[in-house]
Amino acid sequence: MRVYLEFAKKSFQNSIVYRMDYFAGVINAIVMILVNIYIWKAIYEEEAAIEGVQFKIIVTYIIISFLMQMVYMMDEYFIENKVRSGLISMDMLKPIHFRWYVFSYNIGTVVFRLLLQFTPAIIVSIFLFNLLGPFSVLYFSYFLLSAVLGYLVLYNLNFIVWISSFWFYWTFSLVTIKDAAVMILSGAMIPLWFMPEWLVDFIKLTPFDAIFYIPIRVYLGMVPEQEILSALFRQVMWIFILFLIGQLLWKAATKKLVVQGG
Amino acid sequence: MNLFIIFYQYSKLSLKTMLEYKFDRTFITLAIFFREMISVVVMFLILTRFLHIKDWQLFELFFLYSFLFLSYSLFIFLFAGIRDFDHMIHSGEFDRFLTRPLGLMFQIVASRVDYPATLGHGIVGIILFMFTASNVGIDWNIQNIIYYIIALIGGAIIQASIFMISASFSFWTIRVENLRNLIFFNSRRIAGYPISFYPSIIQKILIFVIPFAFVNYFPAQYYLGKEDIELFWGGYMYLTPFVGIIMFFIVYLFWKMGVRSYSSSGNSMY
Repeated sequence: MRVYLEFAKKSFQNSIVYRMDYFAGVINAIVMILVNIYIWKAIYEEEAAIEGVQFKIIVTYIIISFLMQMVYMMDEYFIENKVRSGLISMDMLKPIHFRWYVFSYNIGTVVFRLLLQFTPAIIVSIFLFNLLGPFSVLYFSYFLLSAVLGYLVLYNLNFIVWISSFWFYWTFSLVTIKDAAVMILSGAMIPLWFMPEWLVDFIKLTPFDAIFYIPIRVYLGMVPEQEILSALFRQVMWIFILFLIGQLLWKAATKKLVVQGG
Repeated sequence: MNLFIIFYQYSKLSLKTMLEYKFDRTFITLAIFFREMISVVVMFLILTRFLHIKDWQLFELFFLYSFLFLSYSLFIFLFAGIRDFDHMIHSGEFDRFLTRPLGLMFQIVASRVDYPATLGHGIVGIILFMFTASNVGIDWNIQNIIYYIIALIGGAIIQASIFMISASFSFWTIRVENLRNLIFFNSRRIAGYPISFYPSIIQKILIFVIPFAFVNYFPAQYYLGKEDIELFWGGYMYLTPFVGIIMFFIVYLFWKMGVRSYSSSGNSMY
Protein backbone atom coordinates (compact mmCIF):
# COMPACT_ATOMS: atom_id res chain seq x y z
CA MET A 1 0.00 0.00 0.00
CA ARG A 2 2.82 2.38 0.95
CA VAL A 3 4.42 1.82 -2.45
CA TYR A 4 1.28 2.78 -4.31
CA LEU A 5 0.91 5.91 -2.22
CA GLU A 6 4.41 6.84 -3.26
CA PHE A 7 3.49 6.29 -6.92
CA ALA A 8 0.50 8.56 -6.51
CA LYS A 9 2.66 11.18 -4.85
CA LYS A 10 5.15 11.00 -7.67
CA SER A 11 2.56 11.48 -10.35
CA PHE A 12 1.18 14.42 -8.35
CA GLN A 13 4.62 16.02 -8.35
CA ASN A 14 5.08 15.23 -12.04
CA SER A 15 1.90 17.13 -12.85
CA ILE A 16 3.13 20.23 -11.04
CA VAL A 17 6.22 20.43 -13.22
CA TYR A 18 4.26 21.04 -16.42
CA ARG A 19 3.06 24.50 -15.59
CA MET A 20 1.77 25.36 -19.05
CA ASP A 21 -0.34 22.21 -19.17
CA TYR A 22 -1.72 23.21 -15.82
CA PHE A 23 -2.90 26.62 -17.04
CA ALA A 24 -4.10 25.16 -20.30
CA GLY A 25 -6.32 22.72 -18.43
CA VAL A 26 -8.02 25.46 -16.44
CA ILE A 27 -8.37 27.90 -19.32
CA ASN A 28 -9.66 25.27 -21.76
CA ALA A 29 -12.36 24.28 -19.30
CA ILE A 30 -13.41 27.87 -18.66
CA VAL A 31 -13.52 28.71 -22.37
CA MET A 32 -15.60 25.63 -23.09
CA ILE A 33 -18.01 26.57 -20.31
CA LEU A 34 -18.20 30.13 -21.59
CA VAL A 35 -18.86 29.13 -25.20
CA ASN A 36 -21.55 26.68 -24.22
CA ILE A 37 -23.27 29.09 -21.88
CA TYR A 38 -23.55 31.71 -24.63
CA ILE A 39 -24.91 29.15 -27.05
CA TRP A 40 -27.59 28.11 -24.58
CA LYS A 41 -28.28 31.72 -23.78
CA ALA A 42 -28.87 32.32 -27.48
CA ILE A 43 -31.18 29.30 -27.62
CA TYR A 44 -33.28 30.33 -24.66
CA GLU A 45 -33.43 34.02 -25.49
CA GLU A 46 -36.60 33.62 -27.50
CA GLU A 47 -38.40 31.33 -25.13
CA ALA A 48 -38.68 33.95 -22.41
CA ALA A 49 -41.44 32.13 -20.52
CA ILE A 50 -39.39 29.13 -19.49
CA GLU A 51 -36.10 30.92 -19.49
CA GLY A 52 -35.52 31.19 -15.75
CA VAL A 53 -35.43 27.63 -14.51
CA GLN A 54 -34.48 25.81 -17.71
CA PHE A 55 -31.57 28.09 -18.46
CA LYS A 56 -30.16 27.93 -14.94
CA ILE A 57 -30.33 24.15 -14.95
CA ILE A 58 -28.59 23.85 -18.27
CA VAL A 59 -25.86 26.28 -17.19
CA THR A 60 -25.24 24.25 -14.06
CA TYR A 61 -25.24 21.06 -16.12
CA ILE A 62 -22.62 22.49 -18.47
CA ILE A 63 -20.39 23.76 -15.67
CA ILE A 64 -20.46 20.51 -13.68
CA SER A 65 -19.87 18.52 -16.83
CA PHE A 66 -16.80 20.44 -17.99
CA LEU A 67 -15.31 20.59 -14.51
CA MET A 68 -15.74 16.83 -14.22
CA GLN A 69 -14.14 16.34 -17.62
CA MET A 70 -11.20 18.42 -16.47
CA VAL A 71 -10.69 16.40 -13.30
CA TYR A 72 -11.16 13.09 -15.11
CA MET A 73 -8.51 13.83 -17.72
CA MET A 74 -5.97 10.98 -17.73
CA ASP A 75 -2.60 10.35 -19.28
CA GLU A 76 -3.83 8.26 -22.19
CA TYR A 77 -0.38 7.19 -23.36
CA PHE A 78 1.13 6.08 -20.05
CA ILE A 79 0.97 2.38 -20.86
CA GLU A 80 1.66 2.87 -24.55
CA ASN A 81 4.89 4.72 -23.77
CA LYS A 82 5.97 1.93 -21.45
CA VAL A 83 5.22 -0.72 -24.03
CA ARG A 84 6.98 1.08 -26.85
CA SER A 85 10.05 2.01 -24.84
CA GLY A 86 10.30 -1.47 -23.36
CA LEU A 87 10.24 -0.08 -19.82
CA ILE A 88 7.20 -2.26 -19.23
CA SER A 89 9.47 -5.26 -18.74
CA MET A 90 11.16 -3.47 -15.83
CA ASP A 91 7.80 -2.70 -14.26
CA MET A 92 6.71 -6.28 -14.54
CA LEU A 93 9.85 -7.53 -12.87
CA LYS A 94 9.19 -5.38 -9.83
CA PRO A 95 7.21 -6.90 -6.94
CA ILE A 96 4.18 -4.75 -7.60
CA HIS A 97 0.87 -5.27 -9.34
CA PHE A 98 1.01 -3.37 -12.60
CA ARG A 99 -2.70 -2.59 -12.62
CA TRP A 100 -2.53 -1.08 -9.16
CA TYR A 101 0.54 0.83 -10.18
CA VAL A 102 -1.23 2.41 -13.16
CA PHE A 103 -4.25 3.14 -11.02
CA SER A 104 -2.31 4.83 -8.25
CA TYR A 105 -0.50 6.91 -10.85
CA ASN A 106 -3.87 8.14 -12.10
CA ILE A 107 -5.14 8.81 -8.60
CA GLY A 108 -2.17 11.10 -8.04
CA THR A 109 -3.17 13.03 -11.14
CA VAL A 110 -6.77 13.29 -9.95
CA VAL A 111 -5.70 14.70 -6.60
CA PHE A 112 -3.54 17.23 -8.42
CA ARG A 113 -6.42 18.28 -10.64
CA LEU A 114 -8.84 18.51 -7.75
CA LEU A 115 -6.59 20.69 -5.64
CA LEU A 116 -4.95 22.91 -8.21
CA GLN A 117 -7.25 22.99 -11.23
CA PHE A 118 -10.72 22.29 -9.97
CA THR A 119 -10.52 24.76 -7.09
CA PRO A 120 -9.74 27.89 -9.15
CA ALA A 121 -12.14 26.80 -11.90
CA ILE A 122 -15.06 26.28 -9.53
CA ILE A 123 -14.45 29.65 -7.88
CA VAL A 124 -14.51 31.36 -11.27
CA SER A 125 -17.67 29.43 -12.17
CA ILE A 126 -19.49 30.42 -9.00
CA PHE A 127 -18.72 34.09 -9.42
CA LEU A 128 -18.98 34.44 -13.19
CA PHE A 129 -21.61 31.96 -14.23
CA ASN A 130 -24.14 31.65 -11.39
CA LEU A 131 -23.69 27.98 -10.67
CA LEU A 132 -26.69 26.47 -8.89
CA GLY A 133 -25.89 24.76 -5.61
CA PRO A 134 -26.54 21.05 -5.18
CA PHE A 135 -30.15 19.97 -4.74
CA SER A 136 -29.72 19.07 -1.06
CA VAL A 137 -27.00 17.95 1.34
CA LEU A 138 -28.13 14.35 0.99
CA TYR A 139 -28.11 14.57 -2.80
CA PHE A 140 -24.70 16.16 -2.70
CA SER A 141 -23.28 13.16 -0.91
CA TYR A 142 -25.00 10.89 -3.44
CA PHE A 143 -23.41 13.02 -6.13
CA LEU A 144 -19.92 12.64 -4.66
CA LEU A 145 -20.36 8.88 -4.55
CA SER A 146 -21.75 8.79 -8.07
CA ALA A 147 -18.93 11.01 -9.36
CA VAL A 148 -16.33 8.62 -7.92
CA LEU A 149 -18.13 5.72 -9.58
CA GLY A 150 -18.27 7.69 -12.82
CA TYR A 151 -14.53 8.15 -12.68
CA LEU A 152 -14.06 4.42 -12.18
CA VAL A 153 -16.29 3.61 -15.15
CA LEU A 154 -14.24 5.93 -17.36
CA TYR A 155 -10.99 4.62 -15.92
CA ASN A 156 -11.85 1.00 -16.60
CA LEU A 157 -13.09 1.84 -20.08
CA ASN A 158 -9.86 3.70 -20.75
CA PHE A 159 -7.79 0.85 -19.43
CA ILE A 160 -9.21 -1.45 -22.08
CA VAL A 161 -8.13 1.00 -24.77
CA TRP A 162 -4.71 1.53 -23.19
CA ILE A 163 -4.01 -2.17 -22.90
CA SER A 164 -4.59 -2.55 -26.62
CA SER A 165 -1.18 -0.92 -27.08
CA PHE A 166 0.30 -4.36 -26.40
CA TRP A 167 -1.06 -5.35 -29.79
CA PHE A 168 -1.06 -2.09 -31.76
CA TYR A 169 1.88 -0.12 -30.25
CA TRP A 170 0.34 3.18 -31.44
CA THR A 171 -3.04 3.90 -29.91
CA PHE A 172 -3.58 7.53 -30.90
CA SER A 173 -6.39 6.58 -33.27
CA LEU A 174 -8.18 4.29 -30.87
CA VAL A 175 -7.87 6.75 -28.00
CA THR A 176 -9.17 9.60 -30.14
CA ILE A 177 -12.13 7.62 -31.45
CA LYS A 178 -12.93 6.45 -27.92
CA ASP A 179 -12.80 10.07 -26.74
CA ALA A 180 -15.22 11.12 -29.46
CA ALA A 181 -17.65 8.38 -28.43
CA VAL A 182 -17.40 9.37 -24.76
CA MET A 183 -17.87 13.07 -25.48
CA ILE A 184 -21.10 12.58 -27.37
CA LEU A 185 -22.69 9.51 -25.78
CA SER A 186 -21.94 10.31 -22.14
CA GLY A 187 -23.91 13.53 -22.23
CA ALA A 188 -20.75 15.51 -21.61
CA MET A 189 -21.56 18.12 -24.27
CA ILE A 190 -25.34 18.04 -24.34
CA PRO A 191 -27.76 16.47 -21.84
CA LEU A 192 -29.32 13.20 -22.91
CA TRP A 193 -32.80 14.59 -22.39
CA PHE A 194 -32.35 16.76 -25.49
CA MET A 195 -31.32 13.82 -27.64
CA PRO A 196 -33.66 11.85 -29.91
CA GLU A 197 -35.25 8.82 -28.28
CA TRP A 198 -33.60 6.17 -30.44
CA LEU A 199 -30.18 7.50 -29.50
CA VAL A 200 -31.00 7.52 -25.79
CA ASP A 201 -32.27 3.95 -26.07
CA PHE A 202 -28.97 2.99 -27.61
CA ILE A 203 -26.94 4.82 -24.96
CA LYS A 204 -28.82 2.98 -22.21
CA LEU A 205 -27.22 -0.21 -23.49
CA THR A 206 -23.70 1.23 -23.15
CA PRO A 207 -21.59 2.31 -20.17
CA PHE A 208 -21.29 5.89 -21.43
CA ASP A 209 -24.11 7.54 -19.51
CA ALA A 210 -22.69 6.10 -16.28
CA ILE A 211 -19.68 8.41 -16.62
CA PHE A 212 -21.06 11.96 -16.62
CA TYR A 213 -24.80 11.90 -17.13
CA ILE A 214 -25.81 9.98 -13.98
CA PRO A 215 -23.67 12.02 -11.53
CA ILE A 216 -24.79 15.35 -12.99
CA ARG A 217 -28.42 14.37 -12.86
CA VAL A 218 -27.97 13.39 -9.24
CA TYR A 219 -26.37 16.76 -8.52
CA LEU A 220 -29.33 18.53 -10.08
CA GLY A 221 -31.75 16.42 -8.05
CA MET A 222 -33.35 14.97 -11.18
CA VAL A 223 -33.14 11.38 -9.99
CA PRO A 224 -36.02 10.55 -7.62
CA GLU A 225 -34.96 9.22 -4.23
CA GLN A 226 -36.17 5.67 -4.88
CA GLU A 227 -34.23 5.46 -8.17
CA ILE A 228 -30.89 6.59 -6.82
CA LEU A 229 -29.89 3.15 -5.69
CA SER A 230 -30.57 1.59 -9.07
CA ALA A 231 -28.63 4.42 -10.78
CA LEU A 232 -25.62 3.82 -8.56
CA PHE A 233 -25.98 0.10 -9.09
CA ARG A 234 -25.88 0.63 -12.83
CA GLN A 235 -22.55 2.39 -12.42
CA VAL A 236 -21.14 -0.37 -10.22
CA MET A 237 -22.27 -2.99 -12.68
CA TRP A 238 -20.43 -1.29 -15.53
CA ILE A 239 -17.28 -0.87 -13.43
CA PHE A 240 -17.42 -4.58 -12.76
CA ILE A 241 -17.96 -5.59 -16.39
CA LEU A 242 -15.31 -3.25 -17.76
CA PHE A 243 -12.86 -4.28 -15.06
CA LEU A 244 -13.31 -7.93 -15.98
CA ILE A 245 -12.76 -7.27 -19.67
CA GLY A 246 -9.67 -5.28 -18.76
CA GLN A 247 -8.44 -8.13 -16.59
CA LEU A 248 -8.89 -10.68 -19.38
CA LEU A 249 -7.04 -8.46 -21.82
CA TRP A 250 -4.31 -7.80 -19.28
CA LYS A 251 -3.80 -11.54 -18.82
CA ALA A 252 -3.64 -12.04 -22.57
CA ALA A 253 -1.31 -9.08 -22.97
CA THR A 254 1.24 -10.29 -20.46
CA LYS A 255 1.36 -13.60 -22.30
CA LYS A 256 2.09 -12.06 -25.66
CA LEU A 257 4.34 -9.21 -24.55
CA VAL A 258 7.21 -8.71 -26.95
CA VAL A 259 9.75 -6.12 -25.95
CA GLN A 260 11.69 -4.45 -28.70
CA GLY A 261 14.95 -3.42 -27.12
CA GLY A 262 14.67 -1.88 -23.70
CA MET B 1 9.51 26.54 -62.90
CA ASN B 2 12.31 24.85 -61.09
CA LEU B 3 10.62 25.55 -57.79
CA PHE B 4 7.50 23.74 -58.93
CA ILE B 5 9.47 20.65 -59.76
CA ILE B 6 11.16 20.69 -56.36
CA PHE B 7 7.84 21.29 -54.65
CA TYR B 8 6.37 18.36 -56.53
CA GLN B 9 9.28 16.14 -55.51
CA TYR B 10 8.91 17.18 -51.88
CA SER B 11 5.18 16.37 -51.88
CA LYS B 12 5.91 13.03 -53.45
CA LEU B 13 8.34 12.32 -50.64
CA SER B 14 5.79 13.22 -47.95
CA LEU B 15 3.21 11.08 -49.67
CA LYS B 16 5.61 8.15 -49.80
CA THR B 17 6.43 8.47 -46.10
CA MET B 18 2.74 8.43 -45.43
CA LEU B 19 2.02 5.44 -47.62
CA GLU B 20 4.73 3.48 -45.88
CA TYR B 21 2.39 3.27 -42.90
CA LYS B 22 -0.83 3.02 -44.87
CA PHE B 23 -2.84 1.24 -42.23
CA ASP B 24 -1.73 3.48 -39.39
CA ARG B 25 -2.22 6.72 -41.30
CA THR B 26 -5.67 5.71 -42.51
CA PHE B 27 -6.67 5.23 -38.90
CA ILE B 28 -5.15 8.55 -37.86
CA THR B 29 -7.14 10.27 -40.60
CA LEU B 30 -10.26 8.51 -39.42
CA ALA B 31 -9.54 9.46 -35.81
CA ILE B 32 -9.08 13.13 -36.68
CA PHE B 33 -12.30 12.97 -38.66
CA PHE B 34 -14.19 11.58 -35.65
CA ARG B 35 -12.60 14.08 -33.27
CA GLU B 36 -13.65 17.00 -35.45
CA MET B 37 -17.11 15.54 -35.90
CA ILE B 38 -17.81 15.83 -32.16
CA SER B 39 -18.72 19.50 -32.33
CA VAL B 40 -20.62 18.98 -35.58
CA VAL B 41 -22.71 16.20 -34.05
CA VAL B 42 -23.37 18.30 -30.95
CA MET B 43 -24.53 21.17 -33.16
CA PHE B 44 -26.74 18.75 -35.06
CA LEU B 45 -28.29 17.35 -31.87
CA ILE B 46 -29.01 20.81 -30.46
CA LEU B 47 -30.54 22.00 -33.70
CA THR B 48 -32.74 18.92 -34.21
CA ARG B 49 -34.21 19.76 -30.82
CA PHE B 50 -34.46 23.54 -31.07
CA LEU B 51 -34.62 24.05 -34.88
CA HIS B 52 -32.85 27.40 -34.78
CA ILE B 53 -30.61 29.51 -32.59
CA LYS B 54 -31.24 33.24 -32.84
CA ASP B 55 -32.62 32.90 -36.33
CA TRP B 56 -29.73 30.71 -37.51
CA GLN B 57 -30.92 27.43 -39.03
CA LEU B 58 -28.95 24.19 -38.97
CA PHE B 59 -27.73 24.49 -42.55
CA GLU B 60 -26.61 28.05 -42.05
CA LEU B 61 -24.63 27.13 -38.95
CA PHE B 62 -23.07 24.21 -40.80
CA PHE B 63 -22.19 26.48 -43.71
CA LEU B 64 -20.52 28.87 -41.26
CA TYR B 65 -18.67 25.97 -39.69
CA SER B 66 -17.49 24.57 -43.04
CA PHE B 67 -15.26 27.62 -43.52
CA LEU B 68 -13.31 26.72 -40.38
CA PHE B 69 -12.65 23.17 -41.52
CA LEU B 70 -11.88 23.87 -45.17
CA SER B 71 -9.55 26.77 -44.48
CA TYR B 72 -7.78 24.86 -41.72
CA SER B 73 -7.37 21.90 -44.05
CA LEU B 74 -5.93 24.20 -46.72
CA PHE B 75 -3.64 25.81 -44.16
CA ILE B 76 -2.30 22.45 -42.99
CA PHE B 77 -1.88 21.25 -46.56
CA LEU B 78 0.16 24.28 -47.52
CA PHE B 79 1.83 25.30 -44.27
CA ALA B 80 2.31 22.20 -42.10
CA GLY B 81 5.97 23.19 -42.05
CA ILE B 82 5.12 26.39 -40.20
CA ARG B 83 3.06 24.46 -37.69
CA ASP B 84 6.00 22.15 -36.97
CA PHE B 85 8.60 24.88 -37.17
CA ASP B 86 9.46 24.83 -33.46
CA HIS B 87 10.47 21.25 -33.88
CA MET B 88 12.61 22.02 -36.94
CA ILE B 89 14.60 24.56 -34.94
CA HIS B 90 15.05 22.34 -31.91
CA SER B 91 16.03 19.27 -33.87
CA GLY B 92 18.54 21.20 -35.96
CA GLU B 93 16.69 20.42 -39.18
CA PHE B 94 16.45 24.15 -39.82
CA ASP B 95 20.24 24.48 -39.87
CA ARG B 96 20.34 22.20 -42.87
CA PHE B 97 17.91 24.47 -44.69
CA LEU B 98 20.27 27.38 -44.14
CA THR B 99 23.01 25.64 -46.08
CA ARG B 100 20.92 24.99 -49.16
CA PRO B 101 20.66 27.30 -52.17
CA LEU B 102 16.91 27.69 -51.87
CA GLY B 103 14.54 30.13 -50.18
CA LEU B 104 14.06 29.34 -46.50
CA MET B 105 10.34 29.85 -46.50
CA PHE B 106 10.01 27.65 -49.55
CA GLN B 107 11.89 24.79 -47.93
CA ILE B 108 9.90 25.02 -44.72
CA VAL B 109 6.60 25.08 -46.54
CA ALA B 110 7.51 22.41 -49.09
CA SER B 111 9.18 19.95 -46.77
CA ARG B 112 6.08 18.98 -44.84
CA VAL B 113 2.60 17.92 -45.74
CA ASP B 114 0.43 16.45 -43.02
CA TYR B 115 -1.97 14.36 -45.09
CA PRO B 116 -3.95 12.82 -42.21
CA ALA B 117 -4.79 16.25 -40.75
CA THR B 118 -5.48 17.73 -44.17
CA LEU B 119 -7.85 14.91 -45.05
CA GLY B 120 -9.43 14.59 -41.59
CA HIS B 121 -10.40 18.26 -41.47
CA GLY B 122 -10.97 18.50 -45.20
CA ILE B 123 -13.50 15.68 -45.30
CA VAL B 124 -15.53 17.21 -42.47
CA GLY B 125 -15.43 20.53 -44.31
CA ILE B 126 -16.47 19.02 -47.62
CA ILE B 127 -19.33 17.08 -46.06
CA LEU B 128 -20.64 20.21 -44.36
CA PHE B 129 -20.24 22.23 -47.54
CA MET B 130 -21.97 19.63 -49.73
CA PHE B 131 -24.91 19.43 -47.37
CA THR B 132 -25.38 23.16 -47.13
CA ALA B 133 -24.15 24.88 -50.29
CA SER B 134 -27.39 24.35 -52.17
CA ASN B 135 -29.66 24.66 -49.15
CA VAL B 136 -28.95 28.14 -47.85
CA GLY B 137 -30.10 30.10 -50.89
CA ILE B 138 -26.78 31.00 -52.41
CA ASP B 139 -26.64 31.70 -56.12
CA TRP B 140 -23.34 30.09 -57.09
CA ASN B 141 -22.42 32.41 -59.92
CA ILE B 142 -18.84 33.06 -61.02
CA GLN B 143 -18.40 36.03 -58.73
CA ASN B 144 -19.57 34.09 -55.67
CA ILE B 145 -17.42 31.09 -56.47
CA ILE B 146 -14.33 33.22 -56.91
CA TYR B 147 -14.89 35.08 -53.66
CA TYR B 148 -15.45 31.76 -51.89
CA ILE B 149 -12.06 30.49 -53.01
CA ILE B 150 -10.38 33.79 -52.15
CA ALA B 151 -12.00 33.79 -48.72
CA LEU B 152 -10.79 30.24 -48.05
CA ILE B 153 -7.24 31.15 -49.03
CA GLY B 154 -7.45 34.33 -46.97
CA GLY B 155 -8.66 32.31 -43.98
CA ALA B 156 -5.83 29.84 -44.41
CA ILE B 157 -3.30 32.69 -44.51
CA ILE B 158 -4.75 34.29 -41.38
CA GLN B 159 -4.31 31.01 -39.53
CA ALA B 160 -0.85 30.51 -40.98
CA SER B 161 0.11 33.98 -39.74
CA ILE B 162 -0.95 33.17 -36.20
CA PHE B 163 1.23 30.07 -36.32
CA MET B 164 4.09 31.99 -37.87
CA ILE B 165 4.15 34.53 -35.05
CA SER B 166 4.70 31.74 -32.57
CA ALA B 167 7.21 30.05 -34.91
CA SER B 168 9.23 33.26 -35.07
CA PHE B 169 9.70 33.26 -31.32
CA SER B 170 11.70 30.06 -31.58
CA PHE B 171 14.52 32.02 -33.28
CA TRP B 172 15.16 33.54 -29.87
CA THR B 173 14.72 30.09 -28.32
CA ILE B 174 11.48 31.11 -26.70
CA ARG B 175 8.96 28.30 -26.72
CA VAL B 176 5.41 29.47 -27.08
CA GLU B 177 4.02 26.37 -28.76
CA ASN B 178 1.69 25.50 -25.91
CA LEU B 179 0.53 29.07 -25.48
CA ARG B 180 -0.15 29.25 -29.21
CA ASN B 181 -2.22 26.07 -29.16
CA LEU B 182 -4.16 27.40 -26.21
CA ILE B 183 -4.96 30.69 -27.95
CA PHE B 184 -5.47 29.27 -31.41
CA PHE B 185 -7.70 26.32 -30.63
CA ASN B 186 -9.82 28.13 -28.08
CA SER B 187 -10.43 30.98 -30.52
CA ARG B 188 -11.36 28.43 -33.12
CA ARG B 189 -13.77 26.81 -30.70
CA ILE B 190 -15.45 30.14 -30.00
CA ALA B 191 -15.64 30.95 -33.71
CA GLY B 192 -17.60 27.74 -34.34
CA TYR B 193 -20.81 29.65 -33.63
CA PRO B 194 -21.76 33.10 -34.95
CA ILE B 195 -19.82 35.72 -33.02
CA SER B 196 -23.01 37.69 -32.55
CA PHE B 197 -23.92 35.15 -29.84
CA TYR B 198 -21.13 36.43 -27.64
CA PRO B 199 -20.65 39.57 -25.57
CA SER B 200 -18.95 42.44 -27.35
CA ILE B 201 -15.55 41.98 -25.71
CA ILE B 202 -15.24 38.50 -27.22
CA GLN B 203 -16.45 39.83 -30.58
CA LYS B 204 -13.78 42.53 -30.52
CA ILE B 205 -11.06 40.03 -29.69
CA LEU B 206 -12.09 37.81 -32.59
CA ILE B 207 -12.12 40.77 -34.97
CA PHE B 208 -9.08 42.77 -33.93
CA VAL B 209 -6.74 40.56 -31.91
CA ILE B 210 -7.06 36.97 -33.15
CA PRO B 211 -9.07 37.64 -36.29
CA PHE B 212 -10.94 34.37 -36.54
CA ALA B 213 -14.11 36.30 -37.38
CA PHE B 214 -12.59 36.84 -40.83
CA VAL B 215 -11.97 33.13 -41.27
CA ASN B 216 -15.60 32.12 -41.07
CA TYR B 217 -18.16 34.61 -39.74
CA PHE B 218 -17.70 37.51 -42.15
CA PRO B 219 -17.19 35.47 -45.32
CA ALA B 220 -20.20 33.33 -44.40
CA GLN B 221 -22.24 36.47 -43.83
CA TYR B 222 -21.30 37.66 -47.31
CA TYR B 223 -23.32 34.70 -48.58
CA LEU B 224 -26.00 34.35 -45.93
CA GLY B 225 -26.73 37.99 -45.07
CA LYS B 226 -28.28 37.17 -41.70
CA GLU B 227 -29.73 40.03 -39.71
CA ASP B 228 -27.05 40.07 -37.04
CA ILE B 229 -24.51 41.45 -39.52
CA GLU B 230 -26.11 44.80 -38.64
CA LEU B 231 -24.11 44.66 -35.41
CA PHE B 232 -20.92 45.11 -37.38
CA TRP B 233 -19.61 47.33 -40.13
CA GLY B 234 -20.77 45.82 -43.42
CA GLY B 235 -17.37 46.26 -45.06
CA TYR B 236 -15.90 43.52 -42.90
CA MET B 237 -17.55 40.96 -45.18
CA TYR B 238 -15.13 41.80 -47.97
CA LEU B 239 -12.00 42.18 -45.88
CA THR B 240 -10.90 38.55 -45.39
CA PRO B 241 -8.26 38.49 -48.15
CA PHE B 242 -6.89 41.88 -47.09
CA VAL B 243 -6.69 40.92 -43.43
CA GLY B 244 -4.82 37.81 -44.54
CA ILE B 245 -2.35 39.71 -46.71
CA ILE B 246 -1.69 42.46 -44.15
CA MET B 247 -1.24 40.00 -41.32
CA PHE B 248 1.09 37.86 -43.34
CA PHE B 249 3.14 40.88 -44.38
CA ILE B 250 3.59 42.11 -40.81
CA VAL B 251 4.37 38.64 -39.53
CA TYR B 252 6.84 38.11 -42.34
CA LEU B 253 8.80 41.20 -41.23
CA PHE B 254 8.89 39.83 -37.70
CA TRP B 255 10.06 36.51 -39.08
CA LYS B 256 12.85 38.21 -41.08
CA MET B 257 14.02 39.88 -37.89
CA GLY B 258 14.11 36.47 -36.25
CA VAL B 259 16.13 34.82 -39.01
CA ARG B 260 18.68 37.64 -38.83
CA SER B 261 19.25 37.21 -35.11
CA TYR B 262 19.20 33.42 -35.23
CA SER B 263 22.15 31.46 -34.00
CA SER B 264 21.88 27.71 -34.06
CA SER B 265 21.04 25.73 -30.94
CA GLY B 266 24.08 23.73 -31.95
CA ASN B 267 22.76 20.22 -31.95
CA SER B 268 21.58 18.17 -34.82
CA MET B 269 19.41 15.15 -34.32
CA TYR B 270 19.84 14.11 -37.94
